[in-house]
Amino acid sequence: MTSALGERLRAVVGAEHLADGASAAVDGVAPRFVARPANVAEVSRLLGLAHAEGLAVAPRGAGTAQGLGNPPTRLDLVIELGRLNRVVEYEPADVTVSVEAGMTLDDLERVLGKHRQVLPLDPPGWRARTVGGVLATNASGPWRFRYGTGRDALLGVRFVQADGTVTWGGSRVVKSVTGYDIPKLLTGALGTLGVIVETTLRLHPSPECERSWLLGFASLDLARGCLAALLDSALQPSRVEIVNAGTLAALGEPVTAAALAVSIASVDAAVAAEGAELDRLARAAGGGARQLADDVWERYGSLFAGARGVRLRLACLATSVTELVALVDALAHRHGLGARVGGCAGLGALTAVLEGECAPDAWEPAILGPLRDRLEGEGGSVIVEQCPLALKERIDVWGPVDPQALALIRRIKTEFDPTGVLNPGRFVSRL
Amino acid sequence: MPLSPAVIPELRRLLGPDGLVVTPEGRMTYECDMHTFYKGTPELVALPRTTAQVMELVRLCRRERVAVIPRGSGTGLIGGATAPQGGIMISTTRMNEILEIDLANRSATVQAGLINVWLSNAVRDRGYFFAPDPSSQMVSSIGGNASTNAGGPHCLKYGVTVNHVLGLEVVTGAGELARLGGKVADRAGYDLTGVTVGSEGTLGIVTAVTVRLLHTPEGVRTALAAFASIEDASEAVSAIIAAGIVPAALEMLDAAIIRAINEGIHAGYPTGAAAVLLIELDGPQAEVAAQAERVAAICRDHRPLAIRVATTEAERTLLWKGRKEAAGVLGRMTANWLLQDAVVPRSKLPAIMREVAAIAARHQLLIANVFHAGDGNLHPLICYDERRPGERERAIQANEELLAACIALGGSVTGEHGVGVDKAKNLPKQYAPADLNFMARLRRAWDPDNIMNPGKLLPSHPACGEGLRVGAPVRIPSGAWV
Repeated sequence: MTSALGERLRAVVGAEHLADGASAAVDGVAPRFVARPANVAEVSRLLGLAHAEGLAVAPRGAGTAQGLGNPPTRLDLVIELGRLNRVVEYEPADVTVSVEAGMTLDDLERVLGKHRQVLPLDPPGWRARTVGGVLATNASGPWRFRYGTGRDALLGVRFVQADGTVTWGGSRVVKSVTGYDIPKLLTGALGTLGVIVETTLRLHPSPECERSWLLGFASLDLARGCLAALLDSALQPSRVEIVNAGTLAALGEPVTAAALAVSIASVDAAVAAEGAELDRLARAAGGGARQLADDVWERYGSLFAGARGVRLRLACLATSVTELVALVDALAHRHGLGARVGGCAGLGALTAVLEGECAPDAWEPAILGPLRDRLEGEGGSVIVEQCPLALKERIDVWGPVDPQALALIRRIKTEFDPTGVLNPGRFVSRL
Repeated sequence: MPLSPAVIPELRRLLGPDGLVVTPEGRMTYECDMHTFYKGTPELVALPRTTAQVMELVRLCRRERVAVIPRGSGTGLIGGATAPQGGIMISTTRMNEILEIDLANRSATVQAGLINVWLSNAVRDRGYFFAPDPSSQMVSSIGGNASTNAGGPHCLKYGVTVNHVLGLEVVTGAGELARLGGKVADRAGYDLTGVTVGSEGTLGIVTAVTVRLLHTPEGVRTALAAFASIEDASEAVSAIIAAGIVPAALEMLDAAIIRAINEGIHAGYPTGAAAVLLIELDGPQAEVAAQAERVAAICRDHRPLAIRVATTEAERTLLWKGRKEAAGVLGRMTANWLLQDAVVPRSKLPAIMREVAAIAARHQLLIANVFHAGDGNLHPLICYDERRPGERERAIQANEELLAACIALGGSVTGEHGVGVDKAKNLPKQYAPADLNFMARLRRAWDPDNIMNPGKLLPSHPACGEGLRVGAPVRIPSGAWV
C-alpha cells in the first residue's frame, strides 16, 4: 500500500520532493511521507488524494510551531509549504502585498524594506517563520499593541479545503465587507479548515525613528502603577511589554522585580518628546527609564523561541498582568523551576517559558491548574504552546473552551472536514 | 411560511403589550432602510428589552419556520433590514443600555441597540473614544455597526468595526445564546467573533457587543485642500499614502457634492473647485506637526486652488459637518439615486476616477462623489430621475459598468455598506462558485433552518432555489452554492 501511495504522491510533486516521513514526526507520530508541493495546484491534488484515501494530513510551514496543539490522533502525510515562497503581487503604493504562504517573514521583510514598509507581525523567532504558519497559529509579538494581530493584517486568503477545493476568501484591498470574513475564520484555525496557500496582507509604513526604553521597578506594584498611568496617557507606544526578573537576567539587563520594555516609533521630534514623557511617568511611578539598544527586540524574541522548556501562552485582562507575572514566578519558585515571562502588558497577552525538572504528572496540579483557575473568572486562558511529549500526553494543551463556542466550532469543523483529513486531534477539544 | 395568527398572543405574553407592532401603519415604518429602493414589510415587529426575550423569539420563529429579520436603527444602505419574504423583524432599539465601561482595560460592553455616538459621549470626558464612526453614527446602533462591519472616515487609520470588537453576545439561528470572545483578547478556537461581525444578521442576532475603547489622541489637525480637477486630487491622495503617511481620515468631495453641502448646511467649502480633500491627522503633537507639513507639501505639488487649515475646534467641526451630513443633502441634488460602495487599490484611484467620469459622460448622467479616498473606498452617487423615460435604465447600466471597472482593477464589491439584498447578485463578480459555496455552508453551522435574514448577503442560485425557502433545512452539496 505504502509504495502504491508513494507512487501517486510522487506523481504529484515529483520524486525529489517526496521524502520518507520518519524525520517529520509530530509529537512522536511519524507520517508516512513528507511532500513538498511547488504550487497551489499541487497542494490541491495532494489534498484531493488524501481525502479520497482517508489520509490524515498536517500542513507545515517552517516547522517552528509544530509543537502547538494536542498530539495528532493520526498522521499520514505532512505537506511542507516552503516551496510556495513567491511574491504574488506587490504594489507599494497600495500598502498591501500578496505572497504565498511558505514565504518566511525574513524574506518578506527584505522585499518590503526596500520600500520602507513592514508587515508588523513579530512573534518570537519570526524571521524563520512562514507567513502561513504565523497566521494559522495566530502568533503575535510586541508589535500587537500598536498594530494588532494576524486577524487585523490578513485581508484575503487562498486556502485548500480538506477535499482539495481551492477557495478564496476576503479581498485584495484594505477594506471589504463582501460576504463573510473568511480570513478571520482561517486565522488561528491551525489548518483544521484548510491549508493556507496565499495571503493578501495589510502593510504599514516603516517608522522613521524608533527608540526603546526599559522602565525598572523594585516591585510589581510599582510596575502596575506605571503601566496604568502609561495606558491612560496620550502616549502612543508601539510596544509595551512587561518582563519579569528571569527575563531581565537573560537579557543581561539589571535585575529588578519587574520592568516594562517600551518602544516609541514616530518622527524624530515626536519620539524625543514622548521619550521624555515616558521618563517622567516612570519616575513618578517610583522607577526609572533607561534607553535600550536597538537590537533588544531580536534578543528578547529569541528568549521565547526555540524548543527548550515548557512554553505557556497566557491570556488575561490588562489589569491582571502584574498579578499573573507574580503568580507564575511564585509557582515556578515553589517547584524549583526557572521562569522567563514577557508579553504585551497593554493587552494581557503573556508568554512564559519554564525550565527545570518537574515530573510530567506534577504539572497539572502544580502549575496549569492554579493558572487556569485564576484566569477562568475573567475569561482568560493558558495554552501550552510547547512541552515535552511526556507532559503533552497528560494534559489538554488548549484548556477548556466555552461550551457554546465549542458547539459552533464542532459544527463548522464537521461541515468542512467531516472525515478528519486536516490535523485530526490537534485542535481544541481534540477536534 | 406565513405567520400563524396563533403566535400573536404568545408573543404578547413574552414581550408585553407595547412590545409588538402589529398594525399595518406601524409595520409600514419598518418596510425599508435608508436604501428606500428595496421594500418589504414584516408581518410583525418585535421590540424586545432583554437577551432572554430575543432568544425566545428566535426559538419561536424556528419552531414556526418563520424568517427573523434583525434590525438596529435601520440606517443601512443595502436593504439589509427589510422583510421581502415576510417574517418577524426583531428591532433592538429598546436594548440600548451601556452594560459596562472598563477604562482600565480600555473596553466597554453595550447592548446592541445603543447608539454609536452615545458610547463616545459617555467616555469623552475621561479621554477615550470608540473609533468606528460611520456617517450615521448619530443614529446608528453599535449592534448594527457590528452586524454590517461598518466603516467610516476614520477607519483609514483606526480600522473598521471588526478591528474594535472584542466580543459578542449573539442568539444564533438555532436559537442558542453564544457568548463569543470578550474583554480578554485571545481565545483558543476559531475566531467566531470575527466571522459574526459583518454577517448582516444571517448567522444570528447580536444582542450585546464588547468593544475596544481608544485613548483620545494628543493632537488633531484638520485641513481642506481644493483642486481644479478630480485627477489632481486623486493623485494627491495616492501620493500621501505612498509617502507612508497614515492620516486619521482622507476624504474626497467633488463639485456637485460641495455645491449641495454649501447650499444645504452652509459649510463654506470653497466654491469653484472640482474636488476637495478633507484631511485629518491625529496623534502626538510633534508627529502631527511634522506630518501636516509633509501633507501640505504634497498637496502643493498637485496644483491646489486653496489649502485651508482649521485653527479652532469650531472650524474643525464645521469642516466635518459638511462631510458627515453629505448623505442628508442628497435630496437637494437628485430625485433618485443609486449608490455604489466599491473599493479599488489605492494606487488605482486616479484611474478609477477617470473611468467614473467616462461612464457618467457615456450615459449622460450626473455621478457625484463623496468618499473615503484614503482607503480607495468609492461612493459614487448615480443621480437620475425616474420620471424621465429611460433614465433609470441608464443609471442601472452605469452602476453595473462602474462595479465591473472596480473589480477589474482588483477591487471589492463593497467596502463598508455591506451586501444585503442590494449587492447579493454581485458576489459572483468577486468570488468563484467554490468560494460562495464555502460561505453558504459556513452559514449553516449557525442557522441550520435558514431562518436568519433570508435572501441577504449570499446570492441565490437557480440550481439551489430549494435552499432559499425559509424554514427548509439547507442541503448544500459541496459542489454548489446558494
